Amino acid sequence: MTPRSPAAARSWLLGAPLALYLVVFLAYPSAYALKLALTDGASGRFPSLEPVRALLGDRLFWQALAGNLVVPALSVALELVAGLALALLLAARMPARRLLRAAIVVPFALPEIVFLTIVRALLAPRGYANGALASAGLPTVDFLLPGHGLAYASVIVVDAWRTTPVVFLILLGALGALPREVGEAARLDGAGALRRLWFVTLPLLAPAILAALLLRGLDALRIFAAPLVLAGVEGVPVLSTYAYHQWSDYGDDAGAAAASAVLAVLCVAASVPLLRRGAGAA
Amino acid sequence: MRGALLGLLAALALAGCERGAPALTLAVGLLPGELAPYRAIVADYERATGERVVVVPQQYADIRRALAAEHAAQRGTLDLVELDVYSLAPAADDVRVLDASTLGDVTAALEPATLRAGTIDGLRFLPHRVSWQALLYDHARLGAPPATWDELLAVARAHPGKIGFKAARYEGLTCDVLPFVWSAGGDGASFDDAGARAAFELFRELAPYVNPQSATFKESTVVEAMARGEIVLHLNWPFAVSLLASQGLAPDPIRAAPLPAGPDGRATVLGGGYLAVARNTTRPDAALRLARHLLSRDVQARLGRELGWFSARRDVPPGEGNALLAGFAAMRGDLRPRPERTDYPLLSRAWQEAFRAVVFDGVDPASALAAARTRAHLAAPDGGGA
Repeated sequence: MTPRSPAAARSWLLGAPLALYLVVFLAYPSAYALKLALTDGASGRFPSLEPVRALLGDRLFWQALAGNLVVPALSVALELVAGLALALLLAARMPARRLLRAAIVVPFALPEIVFLTIVRALLAPRGYANGALASAGLPTVDFLLPGHGLAYASVIVVDAWRTTPVVFLILLGALGALPREVGEAARLDGAGALRRLWFVTLPLLAPAILAALLLRGLDALRIFAAPLVLAGVEGVPVLSTYAYHQWSDYGDDAGAAAASAVLAVLCVAASVPLLRRGAGAA
Repeated sequence: MRGALLGLLAALALAGCERGAPALTLAVGLLPGELAPYRAIVADYERATGERVVVVPQQYADIRRALAAEHAAQRGTLDLVELDVYSLAPAADDVRVLDASTLGDVTAALEPATLRAGTIDGLRFLPHRVSWQALLYDHARLGAPPATWDELLAVARAHPGKIGFKAARYEGLTCDVLPFVWSAGGDGASFDDAGARAAFELFRELAPYVNPQSATFKESTVVEAMARGEIVLHLNWPFAVSLLASQGLAPDPIRAAPLPAGPDGRATVLGGGYLAVARNTTRPDAALRLARHLLSRDVQARLGRELGWFSARRDVPPGEGNALLAGFAAMRGDLRPRPERTDYPLLSRAWQEAFRAVVFDGVDPASALAAARTRAHLAAPDGGGA
C-alpha cells in the first residue's frame, strides 16, 4: 500500500470546506427537493409520480413554462441591445456623462421590491402613466391586463429596465479596455462609424457580450419578483411564481418542488451551451 | 479574573431561571402591529399565574408546517397554536382532542357554528377570534349598497368593469364563491345542487362587468384597486375597512354593508384563528388553562377593543361601538363554516377553477360545474361525494 503524499493530503484538506459546503448547501437540499417532488402529498407515498401528474394537468403550469421561455429571452435580448447602445453612447466624451451613467444604474441600485412597487403604481389602471395619458386627452392603456400580451410586454420591459445596468456596466468596462489603435486604423482606411462598429468594435466586444449573456441569461430564467409584483401569479405566470403559488396558496410542497425541479432542469439545459460557448471564447 | 467571575455568576443565575416549569410557547398569526398589545394581554396572565408564556408571531402556514414537523418528529416546543380556520382539517392529527368538561363555561358561551368548525373527530380547535366578509362599496358612486342579487346585477350593468372579486387561485376566491352558493340554497360541498347552479348562473351574468384585474386580485390588491377607484364594490374582511379608514377612505367614500341576499337569504364564510393544543406538548393542562384565559369574556372584549378582533363569544358583540364595522356586525347571524371534510382543500380548488372558467374563460356554468365535480371526485381519496 502506497502511503499518500503530504501534498495530496493537504489538497484534500484544503478542498474539504468547499466539498462540505457543496454537500450541505447544494447536494442535500437538491436531493431533498427531488424527493419532495416525487412524494404524494396526500398519502406521503414515495416514490410517486402524482405531483408530476398534477403539474402536467394544470393549465397554469404550461402557461408558466411558456412564460419562463418567452419572458427571459425577450428581456435579455432587450437588455443586450439597450445595454450595448448605452455603453457605446456613454463611452464617448459627452456633457453630463457621469450623471447619465449614474441615472442608468439607479433602477438596479434600488431594492427590487421598492423599484417594482413604484412601477406598479405607475402602470396600474388608474396609475400615474394613465393619469398622464388621460390628462393629455389620450386613451388609457391597461398595461397589466392579466394574461394579455401587454402585461407580458410590461413585465419584459420593466425587468429589462432594472437589469440593463448589469449589461451596460460589463460592456462599458470592456469598451474602455479596447485598443484605440484598431479603430483608429480602420478610420484612416476610410471605414465609417457603422462599419467600424460592425467590423471592429463588436468582434472585439464579443467575449464581453458573451459574458453578459451568460450572466444575465441564467439569472433571467429565475425571474420572480417582476411578474409577481406587477401582474400576479395568474397575470404573467413563470415557473418560480408558479412554484411559490403552489407552496403559499395551496400548501402543496410537492407541487412546488416539482415545478422548481422543472425550472432547475431548464436552467441546467440552458447553461450547458452557454458555458460551452463561454469556454470556447475564453 | 473579575470578568470570569461575573460570567460565572450570570451563568448560575440563568441556570437558576431554568429550574422552574418551562415556559409555554404560544404560536399566533399576528400582524406586526398586533404583537405589542397581544403581548401586553399575555403579560397580565403571566403576572396573575406566575406562568411564563413565549408568544411567537408567525404566519398561519408556517405554524401549520411547524406543527406537522413536530408531530412527525414526536417532539417539539409548541404548546398552544393558532391556526387559520381553513387549515383545521389537515392539521387535526397534529393537535390533541380537548375534553369539553375541562373548558368550564367557555364552550357554552361560544357561537355553536364556530364550535362546529373546530370539531373534527372530537373538539380539537377553539375559536380565538372569528372573522367574516361583508360587502365593501363606494358610497359616493352607488349611494345605497345592493341588497339583493338583482340589485347587484343592476349595479354591475351600470358600472361595467367595476365589480371586483378576489379571484386569484387561492382560498380567498372560495370565500367569495361560497356565500353565493349558500345564498341560493346550496350546501357548498356539491357542484350539482340548485344553489351551485343558481350562483354560477349569476356569475355568468356578472362576468362581462367584472373588473379584469380580478383574475389576480387578493385581499390587499383588491383593496388597493378600491382605493384607486378602479372598482365600486367587492367582498372583504374587516381589516380592509381599517386599512381604508387609515387612508382616509372610510367611512367616506367606502363603507361596509351586508352581502346581497340570494333566493335563500344571506350567508358569509366563517374565517378566523383557532387555538389548539399541540399533540407533542409536555404541558397540555397548562396550555389549556392559557386557552381558557384567552377565551374568557374580559380578554375577548379587550382583544376586540384593542385589536379590532371579532369574538366567537355570544356575550361579546362584534365591532362594539365601531360604526365602520356595522355592515359586518349585521351579518353575524349569517355565518357558515366551510364544508367540514378532510379533502376540503381539493374541494376548494375545484370551486376556484369553476369560477375562473365561467367568469374569465366564458365556459358555461353547467360545463364548469361538471368539470369541477369530476376534478373533486377524482382527487378525493374516498371518491369525493362532491
